[in-house]
Amino acid sequence: MTVTNLNPRLISTLALAAALLGAALMLAACSDGDDTPTATGTPAVTGTSTTASPSPTAESGTRQVEADNGTIEVPANPQRVAAIGNASLPFIDLGGEPVGVTEMRASTLALLPEEQKGTFEAAMNLGPSGGEVDLEKLASLEPDLILAQLPTSDFELIKEQLESIAPTVFFGLGTEWKTLADGLAAAGNLTDGLSEQKAEFEAHVATIQETYREIIDDTTFVMLDRYASSDPATFVITHIGCIEIAQDDIGLNLPEHAEGNNGEVQSFEQIGELSRYDVILYPVNAQGQATEPFAPVVETNAWQALPAVTSGHALGVFCPGNNSYGSVLRYLDSLDQALATLPSDE
Amino acid sequence: MTLQTADLGVPGAFTAPGTRRSIGLFVALAALVALLMLSLIIGSKMMPPAVVWDALFHPSGDFDHFAIRDFRLPRTIVGLVVGMALGVSGALIQALTRNPLAGPGILGVNAGASFAVTVAIGLLGVRDVRGYMWFAFAGALVVTIMVLLLGSTRRGQSPVVMVLAGVCVGAVLGGAGSALQLINPDAFDQMRSWGAGSILGRPLDVVWPILPFFAGALVLAFAVSGPLNAMALGDELAVAQGVSLVRTRILAIIALTLLAGGATAIAGPIGFVGLMVPHVARWIVGPDQRWIFAYSMLLAPSLLLASDILGRIVMHPSEIPVGIVTAFVGAPVLILLVRRRKVSGL
Repeated sequence: MTVTNLNPRLISTLALAAALLGAALMLAACSDGDDTPTATGTPAVTGTSTTASPSPTAESGTRQVEADNGTIEVPANPQRVAAIGNASLPFIDLGGEPVGVTEMRASTLALLPEEQKGTFEAAMNLGPSGGEVDLEKLASLEPDLILAQLPTSDFELIKEQLESIAPTVFFGLGTEWKTLADGLAAAGNLTDGLSEQKAEFEAHVATIQETYREIIDDTTFVMLDRYASSDPATFVITHIGCIEIAQDDIGLNLPEHAEGNNGEVQSFEQIGELSRYDVILYPVNAQGQATEPFAPVVETNAWQALPAVTSGHALGVFCPGNNSYGSVLRYLDSLDQALATLPSDE
Repeated sequence: MTLQTADLGVPGAFTAPGTRRSIGLFVALAALVALLMLSLIIGSKMMPPAVVWDALFHPSGDFDHFAIRDFRLPRTIVGLVVGMALGVSGALIQALTRNPLAGPGILGVNAGASFAVTVAIGLLGVRDVRGYMWFAFAGALVVTIMVLLLGSTRRGQSPVVMVLAGVCVGAVLGGAGSALQLINPDAFDQMRSWGAGSILGRPLDVVWPILPFFAGALVLAFAVSGPLNAMALGDELAVAQGVSLVRTRILAIIALTLLAGGATAIAGPIGFVGLMVPHVARWIVGPDQRWIFAYSMLLAPSLLLASDILGRIVMHPSEIPVGIVTAFVGAPVLILLVRRRKVSGL
């Protein structure tokens, strides 16, 4: 069919439709000034004012946040935050409610308080890990902020895509947990909650130091661990995890180790060598029983013959995580209770 | 599959008369005894023979005694039992398929055991080797029966079709197991050490329940050694000598499945031992299955224990699982064997 064959009435109808469509597109273009992400995911917030907007749904101002990927301009009061990789649980711990998260292991989620677990599960699942985030799903959430903690090499691969969807605040895996909490709170506008957690943490540390001053000064400790992935009949004298808080913040006298040395794998045959320590710390679950991977250690005859064990100086300590103030506070509670069981002459 | 006449004429480079075979057997026994002793002496620290003697016969609460009695002794016994089972099962499968490069895993034994362990850990939450070893055993048995049925044609069991069925079933189960492990990373962690193949950390109470199966399987293996010798001359000749092909194959498959399935259940999949040792045994003693079985019973645990001891030394104080050491040793040996195929062929 050619144009010359068209009915004149049809031509005028099509012209009217085209005019209406053009007008609609122009209106849509003019309305793009609000802070709703566009279809391509480009963040629309361009202002630099730090004045908070009274709008309940969005913020017209922005703030600057320092992160491992530079100084990032983020919404002053982000409403739709996607937290990927290891950023999700610390963000939730600060009181954040992400709209999307990447998966965490069931064993990790089992250690969360119920409320936080509910918040995590209410968010959209964006993929198996931070490095394997489903970018299409992420864009469909129209986030106004992306928080990410994942290996730097993984981040570099998706950096441009993430930043095209929303301002992205990235921290590498080597970021110290307090720095991470500061960064996430600053980006997510959760600094009030962070201040409360910090105050509680400092008070708790001070109380433990004061209560157990003599023990801390005069006792040698060692922290053991064992993981689901550990080789059979091996355990670890660990230098990372919650024990870093016991060493760096509380000041427990733990084995010295080189920078970057996360721990020494030991055979069960070497359990007897633990006799040199006054107090042995080992991992327990929330109920106070040795964790499932560590249980084979405490079942050995050698363990049960250790002086620290026979004298009640083997202390189970619950570590629900060491990357947020909430989990660290729960660890300090457990450590406090464990130290309280030591004889007073320690 | 029929045997090449040329192979019959060259049964082994060092085909020996009965006396020399007996002396060789005695030497193999002495080597095994020496390795058993070394396995008790060498570990995270060297133990003087006197300490080993005291630990075994005059035990006290000494930590060295715990190390020997609780860890090295079970490990050594597991190595002995698993090695014997792998050696004889390898000899059986090579005789059955008339393929000198066949191993016990070729009928899907390892795949069945691994899949069953994945299901036990990932879906049923079984965490202890005492629990999932039975799944491994059952998985090996079920899959071998499946392969036996798939490999049966109207004319009976065809070794070639059985091997193909084993490869196919193994591939399917391998894929399904990998999928389960990817869905459940916690299960993957649990599987890691078992999947590497190790005799470390297996308590003796995982060995005792399997021993009756091993004993029965060894009796069966020696019972079918005569018919297998006849079958090596060709099916027609074997039938002419009154051998029941179907009965012999079924009994041999039952025996090798019990042996390989039990060994895999205890230690995880350990490659190359069941392939190399019968091959070397045949090279030494010629095609007589009775001698091959006897030599395999001594040489296979020797190889396993030597590999395990090597794994304790090369990365001291860490260890390499024996399954990895046998793979390192096995790959070049396999190449050598392939190049010498005519010398040690069936």
